[in-house]
Amino acid sequence: MVDFSSAVYQNEFLPDQGTDVHAIVQLTCQGAGSAGRSGLGEVGEIIIVDASGSMMGDRIEMAKRAAAVAVDSILDGTWFAIVAGTHQAFLAYPRVLNGQGMVRMDPSSRLAAKSAIASFRADGGTAIGQWLLLARKLFASVPSLVGRHTILLTDGEDYNETPTQLDSAIRQCIGQFQADCRGIGVDWKVNEVRKIAQALLGSVDIIPDAHDLPQIMAGLVQQAMSRGVADAQLRVWIPQDAQILFVRQVSPTVEDLTHRGSPINPLTQGYPTGAWGDESRDYHIAVRLPAKSLGVEQLAARVQLAVGAQVLTQGLVKARWSADPGLTAQISPEVAHYTGQTELALAIQEGLAARAAGDDRTATVKLGRAVQLAAQTGNDEATSKLRRVVEVADATSGLVKLRRDVDKADEMALDTASTKTTRIRG
Amino acid sequence: MSQTDPTAAGSGDDQPTPADQLDQTLGVVWTGPTEEFPTQPWPSGRAERDRPASDTCSVCGGVVDPDGYCTQCGAKAKSVRDHWIEAPADWVAGVCDSGLVHPHNEDALATAATAEPGRRAVIVVCDGVTTSQDSDLASLAAARRARDLLWSDQPQGLGLSRTQAAATAQRLRQAIQAANRAVIEATAPDSPNPASATIALAEVAGSTCFWATLGDSRVYWLPDQAEAVLLSQDHSLAQAQIDQGVSRQAAEASVLAHTITKWLGLDAVDLEPSAGQFQLDRPGWVLVCSDGLWNYASSAPALRQAFEQAASQPEPTDSPLALARRLVDWANGQGGHDNVTVGLARCGV
Repeated sequence: MVDFSSAVYQNEFLPDQGTDVHAIVQLTCQGAGSAGRSGLGEVGEIIIVDASGSMMGDRIEMAKRAAAVAVDSILDGTWFAIVAGTHQAFLAYPRVLNGQGMVRMDPSSRLAAKSAIASFRADGGTAIGQWLLLARKLFASVPSLVGRHTILLTDGEDYNETPTQLDSAIRQCIGQFQADCRGIGVDWKVNEVRKIAQALLGSVDIIPDAHDLPQIMAGLVQQAMSRGVADAQLRVWIPQDAQILFVRQVSPTVEDLTHRGSPINPLTQGYPTGAWGDESRDYHIAVRLPAKSLGVEQLAARVQLAVGAQVLTQGLVKARWSADPGLTAQISPEVAHYTGQTELALAIQEGLAARAAGDDRTATVKLGRAVQLAAQTGNDEATSKLRRVVEVADATSGLVKLRRDVDKADEMALDTASTKTTRIRG
Repeated sequence: MSQTDPTAAGSGDDQPTPADQLDQTLGVVWTGPTEEFPTQPWPSGRAERDRPASDTCSVCGGVVDPDGYCTQCGAKAKSVRDHWIEAPADWVAGVCDSGLVHPHNEDALATAATAEPGRRAVIVVCDGVTTSQDSDLASLAAARRARDLLWSDQPQGLGLSRTQAAATAQRLRQAIQAANRAVIEATAPDSPNPASATIALAEVAGSTCFWATLGDSRVYWLPDQAEAVLLSQDHSLAQAQIDQGVSRQAAEASVLAHTITKWLGLDAVDLEPSAGQFQLDRPGWVLVCSDGLWNYASSAPALRQAFEQAASQPEPTDSPLALARRLVDWANGQGGHDNVTVGLARCGV
């Protein structure tokens, strides 16, 4: 039986005339079970494999092997489809022209899918928006699905469509399915693929060596299959006359949700969070309230997780005005930690963008700040990735020098991992 | 608001003797079956700290969520523990309220009374020490324990008034000991700052009122046609100064005035109460209260004045519940700096 719980970390004390309340709300899911097995509805999985000309050779062979591994890992009973993507999108399996574009996994469909995958050839261009739109159409052909997930593999830039076309495709897919995206090699664009993953509530990462593909694919499918809660919504209630400053997921990755809300009622916004397995996610909520008299306590936010119409857990964010600076001056360690981690993500992305644009001064300042923040917040993964891009003279003060001979894969790995956060120590 | 007697119903020959048939000259008091008291919506402990007392927001009129906050403006609603009333009979009532400044209500109230006016009543007020841990739980447990003991343990003495009086005075001391055990049970054994509380109790038994206090919660007697009397003596630094000749006004204005010298709790040193009894020989009110009330009217004449104002404004009333509410509202009107508890019994009629 699935069980959600919540914990709130904040300093509820505000000084006289204080208005802004910050809190970290940790939501935890236990007993999620397997996707499609909770009795709450069926789920679908679509594997999208780049079959463009650039995949020729080792890559397409490893991608085929990875797709076969995926087919092996998808649980029986799960609806699935395999899409091959070039400058067009092809439904590789099931081989149908109309009607339902997905089938249930069973021994015979598994065998047939593998044989379809074996016939993949690398040829043609890249139009990722087309691939996404086909996935959307396939999911729509099985309206009963409550959980819809894709894994997208690509190795190149989106050459055969305009950014506007890709953006439009992404927009049409928002809320329709989730997408975990992986880039093979170093010829794809982190920004492009991250845009897709963020919009479609998924992750992004680099696979520098195509030989790792099958193993990584197996992990991704298993993770998707372990998300027994198909779709949950974060809800934030604020008092009348209050204002949401921002709503951010801050763990396991930083994702700004502020502008992705839809009204549930006049005081409550709902934000998509996608599927949940047994896991914890942390959210940073900031609310502005009209200041009240000293001594007054009030609620600043109710932070809830809802599945369907049912609210499964609620955390209360409070505000209390006090004249005691000993109470009001403390910043919650959790809030401080994630504020630093959010700034870290931004500093890495801005630093790398400046470096790519040839603005070495800005790049040095931003990446120096990133090194400093990574050290302060104990983000060892970020620290080690940063060290491959900059030489660190002094981590405490953020004094760094840009490396001249940076491995492109290291730079991309730093970029894709920029939004990953660590939990507070202790 | 009166409570019918559930144990008396259908008990046939066991019906208690009406008070007016008691042999007052011998001081014989009723020793029949005890009455149950209502259990709703009184608070019981930790869970009630957050359960809202009302579903209407006192700030904006919105709906209060079961989580304790308004669904419109977010204002914190008073919890069942923050504010409640007790009215076990038409002639006995009390209000326990968090006041305006303290975030929690560490005062507690427990009452019991026969439906029949004047026959028998118990009023207990405790005031948990704010700086100690879980003193709200401890004070409530103490008040309940003392009331339950006084209410259920009927003295089975020889029925002579002197024996009766001695037995009752002894039971009041036992009730304080029991309340002390209740405080200790509500305290974590390893607490660095164990819960502590004051206690004031009054038992009306026919024409006699027995009272006992520990700390600075008080018992007053307010006869309709005679001067009011402060019966109890505080165990406080202020009282110590008064005993040495300092005026009440000066002593109670000092910074340490509220430091109590006796209390209930794990670290209690002396449980010998200030105690006594007096004859309810004329119509009047027995008033038991915490310092949240008497802070604004300490001397008997000052309290008398506040009481008379409550009895007449905005319209005259002789309902003990209305009077207790008005006195609490009055204390809150004076600033409500502390938790406020008032228990009243109409006597001598």
